[in-house]
Amino acid sequence: MGTSPRSRPDRPDFAMPDAVSRVRGTVEFVLDKTVENMAHAKVLRSPHPHARIVSVDTTAAAERPGVLAVLTGSDLADDPDVDPYFGAQRPDQPVLAIGKTRYAGEPVALVVATTARAAAEALVEIDVEYEEQPYVVDEVEARKPGAPTVHEDHPGNDCGSWRLRLGDCEKGLAQAHRVYTHTYHSPPASHVPMEPHVCLASWTDDGVEVWTSAQAPYAVKTGLQKMFSLPDGGVRVRALNLGGAYGAKGQIRIEPMVVCASRAAGVPVRLELARDEVFFTIGKHAATVEITTGVMRDGSIVARKMNVVYNAGAYAVTSPGGAGQGLTRAPGPYRIPNVAVDSVASYTNTVPTGPFRGAMTSQLAFAYESQLDDIAADLGLEPLGIRRQNLLRSGDVYATGEALEGLHYDDLLDDLESALAVDEPATVPDPGKKRGSGLAIIIKNTLTPSRSEAGIRLDASGRISILSSSVEMGQGATATMMSLAAGYLGVGTDKVQMGLPDTRHTPFDTTTSSSRSTYSMGFALREAATDLHRRVREEAAKLWDVTSDQVTVEGGCVRVNGGAQAEVSWEHVLGQAGLEEVVGQGVFQSDFGLSKMDPHDVHGPVSVHWHQGGAAAEVEVDLQTGRVEVLRLHANCYAGRAVSAHRVRQQNLGCAIFGLGPSLFEELEYLDGAITNPNLSDYMIPSILDVPVAMTSTAVESSEADPELHGVGEMALPAVAPAIANAIFAATGVRLLDLPLTPERVLRGLLAAETTTEPEEHSDEH
Amino acid sequence: MSTEQRTEPETTRLSFTLNGAERTVEARTDDTLLSTLRGQCGVTSAREACGIGICGSCTVLVDGAVASSCIMLTAQAAGRQVTTSEGLSPDPHQLSAVHDAFVRNGAFQCSFCIPGMVLATHAALHDPSVPNTVEAIRSYLAGNLCRCGSYPDILAAIEDLLT
Repeated sequence: MGTSPRSRPDRPDFAMPDAVSRVRGTVEFVLDKTVENMAHAKVLRSPHPHARIVSVDTTAAAERPGVLAVLTGSDLADDPDVDPYFGAQRPDQPVLAIGKTRYAGEPVALVVATTARAAAEALVEIDVEYEEQPYVVDEVEARKPGAPTVHEDHPGNDCGSWRLRLGDCEKGLAQAHRVYTHTYHSPPASHVPMEPHVCLASWTDDGVEVWTSAQAPYAVKTGLQKMFSLPDGGVRVRALNLGGAYGAKGQIRIEPMVVCASRAAGVPVRLELARDEVFFTIGKHAATVEITTGVMRDGSIVARKMNVVYNAGAYAVTSPGGAGQGLTRAPGPYRIPNVAVDSVASYTNTVPTGPFRGAMTSQLAFAYESQLDDIAADLGLEPLGIRRQNLLRSGDVYATGEALEGLHYDDLLDDLESALAVDEPATVPDPGKKRGSGLAIIIKNTLTPSRSEAGIRLDASGRISILSSSVEMGQGATATMMSLAAGYLGVGTDKVQMGLPDTRHTPFDTTTSSSRSTYSMGFALREAATDLHRRVREEAAKLWDVTSDQVTVEGGCVRVNGGAQAEVSWEHVLGQAGLEEVVGQGVFQSDFGLSKMDPHDVHGPVSVHWHQGGAAAEVEVDLQTGRVEVLRLHANCYAGRAVSAHRVRQQNLGCAIFGLGPSLFEELEYLDGAITNPNLSDYMIPSILDVPVAMTSTAVESSEADPELHGVGEMALPAVAPAIANAIFAATGVRLLDLPLTPERVLRGLLAAETTTEPEEHSDEH
Repeated sequence: MSTEQRTEPETTRLSFTLNGAERTVEARTDDTLLSTLRGQCGVTSAREACGIGICGSCTVLVDGAVASSCIMLTAQAAGRQVTTSEGLSPDPHQLSAVHDAFVRNGAFQCSFCIPGMVLATHAALHDPSVPNTVEAIRSYLAGNLCRCGSYPDILAAIEDLLT
C-alpha cells in the first residue's frame, strides 16, 4: 500500500488502511449489507407541496403478492407505542405525513415486500385523495402577513430567530463616509452524495438493530430510543462506510421510517433511496442575505448590519440552531466595531434543509465578500488592501464581543495573493473573452458544545484497538485517528487498528460533522493514550512492588526508572498481571456555546476555536455567451498541524471542486411547488471536465511546537462562490447578486448598462 | 387499476462470462445488469447512484467497453464478457496497473464512484481510438462523477500510468 507522492518527504502520510478494497470496490457500504429474511421497503411520496390528506386506501396494495406490510401516517398516529414525530432539534417531522403533507416529495405511505420490485409494484396501488392548499416556497415570502402557514404552532413560519448586537450599528452607519446595501440570494441546492441514504433495521422483542449511512450514529440511537420508548440497550446503531455525506446524513433522516417498517412487517427491512428521493430527503438552505456596510474614507469598516433569512423547508431538522450558527459567522473575518445581525429560518413548503458542507456560511460569504470587492472598487482600493486593512487579527474583538485568538488571516491572504501571482497569464488569447481573478476568506465556528469519547484498548497480544464513533466517509477519519493514537502512544501505526462505529461497543460521539472530529476526537484520543499509559504503569508497579511514578511506559515498553528491572513489553506486563486487556479512556467536552445563550442577545464565546479558510480563482468570461471558465482555483485553510498532508489537500481541493457546482450551475428548480430537476441529468454536479487543470491547495500550519489540531473539511468551500464572483467582476465589471453564476446571468449583466447599486452618499467630513 | 390483467415479464436463464468465469443467471427481461450482478453474482463494486446512466458509479466493462449497468438489461449481456472492478485484480495482493496507480496516488475518498473510475480509465488505456494523453483520458472520464472531488488525484494516477 503506497503513500501519496505529494506527501512531504519529512512527514510521510499514513494512508487509509483499506485503500485496496476502496479501489477494488469491496469496501462495505450499507447497500451491500444483507441479513436473513430481509425484506425491502418503498416509499410513496406526496406530489403536492401542501395538501390535506382526505383519505388513503391501501387495500389493493396490501393484497399484492409478496407484500408484508403497508403503513400510513394515520397507522403510526393511532399506535400508542410510537411517537410518530422526530427531528434533530425539534420533533416536528412525521415519519409518514399525518393529516397533511407539507412538501412535494414528503413520505405519505410505505410498503414492505419480499423484494424491492414487489414493494414498488404495490406502491402504485395505494390510492391517496388530497385536498390541495396554498403553499409557499420562498423564504422571504413565507414571513409576510397572509403567507400560508406550514405549521400551525409556528405563526409567521418562524422556525428560529437569532439576534446579535455589538456597539451601536445605526450610529456607526451614520458616521460612515459611505454606506452600501445589497441583497444576495443563494438558491436551494442538494448535497448529492453518490451513495443514497440507505438503512437496514431489524426489530425484535429485544429492541432494534440498525445499520445506516449516517454521520451521527449516536444521534440516530437517541432519536430512535425516544420515538419507541426503548431503554439504552434497546437500540444498536452501526454506521458502515459512507459513500459521501457532506451534511446530508448528519441527522436522523430515513431511519425512523425503516424501523417502523421492520416493526410492522416483523422482519428486517432495508430501504435504499432512489436518486430523486435523496433530493426529497434533505437539501441546502436557500438564503436571502441583506447586508449594509458603512465604511470610512480610508476603507475601514465602521458598521455592518445584516438581515439573513434561511429557508428551512417544511421541517426544522437543524434550522432552529443553524440560523444561530449563521448569525455568528455572518459579519465575516473583519474587525468591525458596530455590528447588528438578525438571522432567521423560515418554514416553507419545500424539502427540509440541513447542514451543507460549509454549513450556513456559503450563503453569507457570498454576500460579504462580494460586497467588499464592490466597496474596494468604489473607493479605489485593491481587494487585498481593503481586506488587510480590516482583517480580524488575534486579540481583536469579534462581532460576538469576544476577543479571538489563534487567527491566521494574514497568512491565508498572503497565500491567496501568491497563488494568484503564479503564472500570470501574459495575454488573453481570444479578444471575445476577458480574464480576471478574485479571492475570498471566511470565518466559521465549530459545533460547540459537543462531546467525543474515545477508548484505546491494549490486549495481551499487544494489539491496540481504538474505540471511537467517528464515522468514515472517505475523509480518512480512521487513518487520521490511527495516526494520532500511534503518535500519542509512541508506537507504529501497524500496531493500531480501528473498526467502524457501533453504539454497542464504541463510546459516545456527538457527530462526525462541522469539521470537528480531528480536533475533538483527537483530543479524546490523547487523553485515552495518557490514561492507558497510567493504567499500564499502575499494573507494572503492582507487579514489581514499586510506586507507579517509578515506572516509565514509552513506545509500548515498560521499565522501572533506574533499571532495577529489565525493560519489558507492555503486553508482557498484561500477561504477568493476568489481564486480557487494559482500556484507556478519554473525553473531549465543551460546555459553552450558542445553545446555552439567549437567542435574542448572543454574545460571548460560541466556539472552541474558529475555522479559517479562503479561495482564489482566475476566470475567463466569454463576452458573447456569458460562459465562465474557471482557469485556476486555489483553496486554503488553517490546519494547526496537518495530520496528513494528502488528506488536507484532498479536503481543500474537494471543497474547491464541490464549491464549483453551487457557484456556477447547481440549483434546485421549483415549479408549482415541486422540484423539477431531482435527477443527475437536470441537476448537474461538477465533472472532471468542469475542474480547472490548475488546482492548488495550501494548509497553513502553526509554527508552535505542539499546535492545536484544526478540522479542515469545509474551510475553503464558502469562499469559492465569492472568489469566482469577484473574478467575474474583475474581468468584466459585472456584479451578480444571485447564485449560481450562470451564463445567462453573466450575459444579462454584460448587457445591462448599470450593474451596481449607487452607494448612498453621506457627508464628507469623516 | 386492475392488477390481475398485468402481464409479468418473462424470466429466462442466460449466461455470460463474469470476470473470466461462466455465469448462468435467472433474469426477467426487464432486469438490469446491475441488479443481476449485485443480486445474483456477489458483485459490490458496481453501485447505483443516479439510476439513469449519467454518473458512472455502476460502470462495468462489456466486451472491454464501458457500459452503465443500471440501464443495460441483463438480457443484453447474454454471451458477452462482463468485467467488474473486482475482476481487474482478482487477487487483492496483485493489483492491476490502474488499481495500483489509484492506490499509490490516494485517488479515492468515499470511494463509491472509484471502481467505475478505475474501469473507465482501464478502458481508455486499452481503447486504440483514445490517445495516450492525460487530456484524452480526462475527457473519457467525463461520464464518471465524483462528489468528493478526487479528480486531481485521479488525474495524478493517470499521469503515473502514462509515464
